[in-house]
Amino acid sequence: MQTFFKEEQLHVPDFKRSNEILRACVHCGFCTATCPTYQVLGDELDSPRGRIYLIKDMLEQGRTPDAATVKHIDRCLSCLACMTTCPSGVHYMHLVDHARAYIEENYKRPLSDRFLRFVLAAILPYPMRFRLAMFAAKLSRPILRRFPDARIRAMADMVPKTIPPVSRNDDAQSFASKGVRKKRVALMTGCAQKALNTDINDATIRLLTRLGCEVVVAEGQGCCGALTHHMGKTDQSHKFAQTNLSVWGKEIHSKGLDAIIINTSGCGTTIKDYGHMFRDTNLAEDAKTVSARAMDITEFLMTLDVPESQTKSIKVAYHAACSLQHGQQVKTHPKTLLKAFGFDVVEPQDAHLCCGSAGTYNLLQPEISTALKERKVKTLMATKPDVIAAGNIGCMMQIGSAAEVPVVHTVELLDWATGGPVPAAVSHCGWSKIQ
Amino acid sequence: MHPKDETELCEILSEAQDPVRISGGDTRSDFSIDGNGLSTLGLSGIVDYVPGALTMVARTGTPLSEIQSVLAAEGQQLAFEPSDYKSVLNRSGTSTIGGVFATNSSGARRIQCGAARDFLLGVRFVDGQGKLIKNGGRVMKNVTGYDLVKLMAGSWGTLGVMSEVSFKVLPAPGKTASLLLETRNHKVAVAAMAAALGSPYDVSGAAYLPGSGACMIRVEGFEKSVAHRLNGLQGRLKEFGKIELLYDQEAKSRWEDLRCLSPFCDVSGDLWRISVKPSDGPKVYEKAAFTKGFYDWAGGLIWGIAEPDVDPRLALNGVGGHATRVRGAAREIAKFHPPSKAIAAINAAIRKRFDPKGILNRGLMG
Amino acid sequence: MQMPSPDTAVLINKEHILARLRAVLPADCVIDDERETKAYECDALSAYRCPPLAVVLPRTTEEVAAVLKTCYDLSVPVVPRGSGTSLAGGALPTEDSVILGVSRLNAVLETDYDNRFIRVQTGRTNLSVSGAVEENGFFYAPDPSSQLACAIAGNIAMNSGGAHCLKYGVTSNNLMGVRMVSMEGEILDIGGAHLDAEGLDLLGVICGSEGQFGVVTEATLRILHKPEGARPVLIGFDSNEVAGACVSDIIKAGVLPVAIEFMDRPCIRATDDFSGAGYPDCEALLIIEVEGSDDEIKEQLDKITKIARTHNPVELREAGSAEEAARIWLGRKSAFGAMGQLNDYMCLDGTIPVTELPYVLRRIGEMSREFGLDVGNVFHAGDGNMHPLILYNANKPGDLETCEAFGAEILKLCVEVGGCLTGEHGVGIEKRDLMDFQFNAEDLEAQMRIKDVFDPKWLLNPAKVFPLKHTEDRRKNRVQFAAHAAE
Repeated sequence: MQTFFKEEQLHVPDFKRSNEILRACVHCGFCTATCPTYQVLGDELDSPRGRIYLIKDMLEQGRTPDAATVKHIDRCLSCLACMTTCPSGVHYMHLVDHARAYIEENYKRPLSDRFLRFVLAAILPYPMRFRLAMFAAKLSRPILRRFPDARIRAMADMVPKTIPPVSRNDDAQSFASKGVRKKRVALMTGCAQKALNTDINDATIRLLTRLGCEVVVAEGQGCCGALTHHMGKTDQSHKFAQTNLSVWGKEIHSKGLDAIIINTSGCGTTIKDYGHMFRDTNLAEDAKTVSARAMDITEFLMTLDVPESQTKSIKVAYHAACSLQHGQQVKTHPKTLLKAFGFDVVEPQDAHLCCGSAGTYNLLQPEISTALKERKVKTLMATKPDVIAAGNIGCMMQIGSAAEVPVVHTVELLDWATGGPVPAAVSHCGWSKIQ
Repeated sequence: MHPKDETELCEILSEAQDPVRISGGDTRSDFSIDGNGLSTLGLSGIVDYVPGALTMVARTGTPLSEIQSVLAAEGQQLAFEPSDYKSVLNRSGTSTIGGVFATNSSGARRIQCGAARDFLLGVRFVDGQGKLIKNGGRVMKNVTGYDLVKLMAGSWGTLGVMSEVSFKVLPAPGKTASLLLETRNHKVAVAAMAAALGSPYDVSGAAYLPGSGACMIRVEGFEKSVAHRLNGLQGRLKEFGKIELLYDQEAKSRWEDLRCLSPFCDVSGDLWRISVKPSDGPKVYEKAAFTKGFYDWAGGLIWGIAEPDVDPRLALNGVGGHATRVRGAAREIAKFHPPSKAIAAINAAIRKRFDPKGILNRGLMG
Repeated sequence: MQMPSPDTAVLINKEHILARLRAVLPADCVIDDERETKAYECDALSAYRCPPLAVVLPRTTEEVAAVLKTCYDLSVPVVPRGSGTSLAGGALPTEDSVILGVSRLNAVLETDYDNRFIRVQTGRTNLSVSGAVEENGFFYAPDPSSQLACAIAGNIAMNSGGAHCLKYGVTSNNLMGVRMVSMEGEILDIGGAHLDAEGLDLLGVICGSEGQFGVVTEATLRILHKPEGARPVLIGFDSNEVAGACVSDIIKAGVLPVAIEFMDRPCIRATDDFSGAGYPDCEALLIIEVEGSDDEIKEQLDKITKIARTHNPVELREAGSAEEAARIWLGRKSAFGAMGQLNDYMCLDGTIPVTELPYVLRRIGEMSREFGLDVGNVFHAGDGNMHPLILYNANKPGDLETCEAFGAEILKLCVEVGGCLTGEHGVGIEKRDLMDFQFNAEDLEAQMRIKDVFDPKWLLNPAKVFPLKHTEDRRKNRVQFAAHAAE
């Protein structure tokens, strides 16, 4: 498309990049077809192509963002299905990231919005605060549920029935490999995940050490920055990222790391993008090094010799998290592994569509999120599965709140298939007898 | 009136004040309408034929037989199998290509590759004021401007007199075979035809003759392919009744009989042609009280003989579709199916704009 | 692109028009914030742009009727819009028009396998129509390359084709019935589940009328059972002209594949990365697909490859698996978008007799050098439907004009060799002014007479299809209507 940036705008790196992205777009509209919000709302403005147009106009004019533009950009899930679909290679992610940062900087949101976003940014990335907030929310749930603001009600509903105790496995330490050490890896333990579900990291550590890896939980690591990044709070997200860069950088330079393992794909997409985020800073090299080593757990497992497993006649409906299938383009590995480990794998119709979780989206856009959740759960249940597996805690919570079968992380199944305990979520299903 | 070229045709129509009855080979035209005869037979000859592009251009008075033999020499054909009304209307001579398209005359292959209108690529015609108009062209895909080509196909000369048509042709199939299923039950026959068309075997004809209890399914193409598909169809259709296979001439002649409406050649009474949703076929056939008839298009096209005072359109009450009388004197029962009021208004308005003097085949098409 | 000056009576009346629209539609169905309407200022032909007066997104046929009646009463032009994927500017608004989008009308209303049809609302995308019947082994045949996104409404408006229409025909050949709302707001049903509608072939002339006769909200479409199998074969040649000659020979030989697609070097390169199809390294590539059982496929491919070998292909390869076949088609169908990675482009759509392919391809190459703009060719060779993509730089002053001039020359060439301006994309705004080259005034007048019947005020999809000088009188009439309505 033709663009109308002023010469001086193009000297600013973010604007230069956005111009490149916009110039690649031919406005063909293919992206509309796979955009979840367009499916629900049917308005060009709630499709990638419409948002690209809104962003283009806002940035070209260099104007103060208006409420309408902000509304439509806020409605974007950042699921990046559009990037998978786009034949022109338009890097929508970098464009919408730029737009969000621009909005955060130049737009004054209504007070309730600002407050909510402040609270989310101040709590979610910090496991201790998150844990406390959940306990508080649980106690006050009856009151919260009567709030006129749907977002508050969504938050109250999001709190799980049981909040697991802190897992000591998430403390900084190193787990030795069982048998000969083949690889040394760092585990990204996450932030919200640690508070919501401790089984995932436990299973990951068991699985990796069993397969001959030393697993390091590095001292000082924290949130990847994704949660705040998607709210346009670039300063905060860069700070988180910087901490991680230095923590993992130390490991890489001392004892070396073969990979940085991520089992929450939402984080994976962001960590893999550190290279881009810090491209024009003095951390560029470090960021590139870290991004190059970042791997989703399933990506990494594919590089190991995994043992064959017997067939288990357990039907697993695999839900592809957007951050995994679109953000990282990891599409087949989880299914390949589940099949290799003896599971019967099925996929729902419209597997490319988001479940509506999308980081804080389910809290900030509860109506659209719920519509997408219902759609996703319906298509998943249509496959008549015994269990649903996903590679992202957000999706697990979202789908788990409505599905009639247990939802587990892919690694929990892989861990069990190679000798680990039956995943907690399915402990009542009598699977222990199967193996 | 026998115009020799488009210029003469334009002159005739621009000067004409009285109704004009258009005719080609007079193999299907309606003699009951009034008007001075205007024959297209003087506009004859194939203008262009490019076998490598599957297209032919011909003047409208060109005999169908001439076109068919020229195509056959290149191993090609008119895939839409225009019906032949000569025996039922007691006419002689040969149809013209113009008449075929003006009546959108399409045979058994309609269900597979389309009607005459689907093969018509371009037209040149002279409207009721004597203006020469062209639309479409001689290429297979063309959306340049509105598709008046479709509008002219099946307009029975009411919008203008076509002088030249260009159309798509197809390679003639190497091999023809039919699967003959015996059943006396109309519903079973229609269900069997639905099963055949709901298969991957590319059926090119599906007809049912209740009189003889013969349900015919046709496949055409390369030899091995025909054998393979027949085999597949047999498997799917055996539950519907006893099956017999016919090949080549034996198969072709039966379809040729249907094309010529031979089942009705010695039968008196009004001949009707009803187009319906195939699964509605048996119900409509029964209600229409036909004394003799058959189904084509997998049940979606019913040809039937009715007593002169019977109106088979009553059978369409509450059912989508339409009925046209092919043979029978003009009476209170209209020859062409009366459309809804809104559609009739559109038809009339279009007709008025192309024939403001109201002289072209007045009395046809409502 | 010259556009008629907007009707000031409508512009002045804007608030009243919006109030009237809001009175007949739910609140979230009317968009008039100018930041928002801007996103509707163009379709997939982004070189031409104009924000509309307002956008309405109704959810039912009745709401569509209410909108049209309101606009008719107030003499406000209406631009119907499906998914906005037109490459001809078919959904380009004017300043005084209301965009009527059917994207929210996307339900499947009826599927009937015994009678082989599906009835859908027209905002539904082409591919999702096939998707709705896929489990039962059926498909909807017309497959425009934008089928993932384009709406049935737009397919009907433009009479869209696609790669596989060589065997299965275009939209018009697969459309059995429509529910259409006239500009006056009257709901009309034409055709239905039976083949061949009665009376004049209104269905035939509505299909391809570029949204200028009415707004089609429901369509009954023919569905077919899928073939047992399908396999594409890739045949690479060292020149465009040889590939073109091969196409004509194959057709003449009595083999009729379901698709014969052509790509030249620039397109092969651009699409291979995205699709991973593994196209051969050659100047020109044919993708020929045949269908049937394994034996049937083999029988046809044997005949095709025998003919191809007489043209000395540089490579000849059959798809080895369903995945490979899917990648081959993904590449072909993404070709336009992928070319966007190279530069901005304008996509032409002229059709020529298949036998003229070698000559026309050579002339396009020569003209490319004369005009100094690169061209990629990717098209439906089996039916002569060309898609030259002229590459230009939209940010470079003067480039668009050169591109337009070059495009016009190519289309004139198509007409000269016996072809036409557009095979499947429609005239839209892009080829409007070239209509004089293919038709004389009488020919155009005859077409406009039909428009007079369906849309006497000439409000639907204004300023498209016909050169402005031919429509001047009719547009004057319309403005008088509007002035009257404003009073």
